[in-house]
Amino acid sequence: MEKKKKMTTWNRMQHLDRRYIYIVVAVAIIIPLLIPFNTPTYVTEPTANIYKKIDSFADREDKAILMSFNHDASTMPELFPMEVSILRHCFERNVKVFTLCFLPQAAPLVDYAINTAKEGYDVTSGVDYLNFGYRPYALQLPIILGMGEDISEALETDSEGRKIDNLKIMENIRNYDDMNLVIDFSGSASIQTWIIYARAKFGANIAAGITAVMVADNYPYLQTGQLVGMLRGLKGAAEYEKLVDVFAAYKDEEYPNGRPYSQEILKEINVPITAKNVTYDITDDEGNVERVVTDRELQYDFKKARIGMNAQSVAHIMIIFFILVGNIGYFITRKNKQNKLG
Amino acid sequence: MTLNNFVAAFLTLCIFSFLYKENPFYRFGEHLLVGVSMGYAIPLIFDTVFIPYVYRPIFLDHNYIIIIPSILGFLYVFRYTKNLSWLARYPIVFGMGIVGMSVPMSMHSQVLVQMRTAMLPLDNINTILIFIGTVTILLYFYFSKAHKGLYGKITNIGVWFMMIGFGASFGYTVMARISLLIGRIQFLLGDFLGLIQ
Amino acid sequence: MKRQIPLLIVMILGFLFVIHTFVPHKISADFYDWWQEWSKAISPFAVVLGVISLGMVHGTKISRKAPNWQYSVVTLFALVFTAASGFIWGRQDGTPYMWLFENVQMPMSATMFSLLAFYIASAAYKAFRARSAEATVLLIAAIIVMLGQVPLGMSISRWIPDISTWILNVPNMAAKRAIMLGVGLGMVATSLKILLGIERSYLGGGD
Repeated sequence: MEKKKKMTTWNRMQHLDRRYIYIVVAVAIIIPLLIPFNTPTYVTEPTANIYKKIDSFADREDKAILMSFNHDASTMPELFPMEVSILRHCFERNVKVFTLCFLPQAAPLVDYAINTAKEGYDVTSGVDYLNFGYRPYALQLPIILGMGEDISEALETDSEGRKIDNLKIMENIRNYDDMNLVIDFSGSASIQTWIIYARAKFGANIAAGITAVMVADNYPYLQTGQLVGMLRGLKGAAEYEKLVDVFAAYKDEEYPNGRPYSQEILKEINVPITAKNVTYDITDDEGNVERVVTDRELQYDFKKARIGMNAQSVAHIMIIFFILVGNIGYFITRKNKQNKLG
Repeated sequence: MTLNNFVAAFLTLCIFSFLYKENPFYRFGEHLLVGVSMGYAIPLIFDTVFIPYVYRPIFLDHNYIIIIPSILGFLYVFRYTKNLSWLARYPIVFGMGIVGMSVPMSMHSQVLVQMRTAMLPLDNINTILIFIGTVTILLYFYFSKAHKGLYGKITNIGVWFMMIGFGASFGYTVMARISLLIGRIQFLLGDFLGLIQ
Repeated sequence: MKRQIPLLIVMILGFLFVIHTFVPHKISADFYDWWQEWSKAISPFAVVLGVISLGMVHGTKISRKAPNWQYSVVTLFALVFTAASGFIWGRQDGTPYMWLFENVQMPMSATMFSLLAFYIASAAYKAFRARSAEATVLLIAAIIVMLGQVPLGMSISRWIPDISTWILNVPNMAAKRAIMLGVGLGMVATSLKILLGIERSYLGGGD
């Protein structure tokens, strides 16, 4: 009798109303966001490679990076923290940065990213950064190819209608030889266009900031070197946030403008997200943790991806739990059916 | 909680209400979204594309040759007419010509570079595995030979590699979908209700 | 003739582009500049297609009083109002046009996609079954990759991120490369078919 009851419970669970599952999903995400906790962020190689490439342009008049915003608001949670972190990196380390988009819906997102990142930095449009603005998708190819010859000819004006040629930021910047890193932020396969044309024809360095959906498909480009690096979904954004806090935004007497990348430093440092100010938890060889609290505030927008990763952790466990419970129920009910038949 | 956030949060909840079941709030939100998205694009394209690339060259720079591509572009309008829809083919084919460039460029980036890297010296277990996986999957997609006997066993190895690849894609897809929801909940809890500091 | 002339244009332009790719001569560069300038002038008109299509679909619904036609009024009103607000008050921050983008378009399009999180969780519970050995391998790979992406995975075992990275760098790489080769060759074949006038579906129906 008891056995029969157990079987029906599993059976019922197999046909659980999906709305109960939705409630569990919502709770699994809401609670870790409401009650933040500190988890270590491990930086992976594809992320670090982009960081190192951008950092190598620090204080250089003849080098710049281009950020191509190829997404709308739907993928913002993953891509926006990446964009803000990279812009911060450029502002901290005095790297010239250009922005461009080929989707109408992306145009305001570029402004949001710049406005969010530049808070607290003394940077000027046309000098430290420049937004080329929106160009229609139909012109993507002519512009990608045109920038290989001459950027100011391919784009002519910036988002404010100014002639690009006359702006200070364009001094010593002509084509991909100078604007030597293009990072495409997208939830689609738009990175391929950059790889096929800008990389193959002009040898431009290309990197991707992509939503997690696209990650696995783009691994072959990493191995071939067609991609310098890849920021992979929310985790990639969280990794970059940490890199900026640990290196680019680090200030002391020895390094007044940020310190250079070092894997050793990265291994032993954690930046707790629950702290109000930027804090470094430094673990020594014996496992002792020394806490260094700086006087810089750790802004919400600069740790958003790391906060999100807490919820991501819980949600992944929840999905794995769903898969396991669903399968256990499936096998028990199947066995039960077979027993009845046989 | 500002009026702006209130409107954004209300519309967010309109869309979320679909999870319970289809309802007038969801339908209202969905239709509003379609209209606003299209309406948003029109002034933007007018200001940033029509003015600099059509109006300015013709009317300010007096480069009258641009009238021809403008007329070509205008032919798009006939796409939905019964008898003149063929006219809309001209602006389409003008852009289509660039496939001539995509033949050699795609061949280079998508095929030759990939093949070259797949043929690295097979000096460690991983490069050997990548090589075996790539070749067996390519054989799997070769349908001119029946997948039987030894050939069937070889192509079956490709299936296992693909399953692992699809598993990786699935794992990342879960991550992506959850991240998007995290973004919306961060908005509702943080920007709207002010519960996240 | 309605089909032949467009096909001929694609062929001529296509082969000129093949030559342009390999020959860095001034004539070739001039040809490209000419094409670019004309493409720029053609491009803004494409948006008209979208507007007409949307107007026709919803206009028909309203005129025929089809079920739920009232929502089509919402769509068309939103379209006209948003576009008009951009022309009347401009597109700068703080205008009604930007307000609509920030508080209507952005939150709703983001929420639309976030619904997928619920569906994938429901599918994980109800549909992802280890029915065969292959499906089991898929699920195990997925679980390891999922754990490898979050700090919790490292807390369970420091091997999990390593195995996850190996899965991505080796078997996944092989699978995706093979698929990429297939897609790459397919793209080249399709492009050649367009150039040679064999593939004509982009021209649409009719004569």
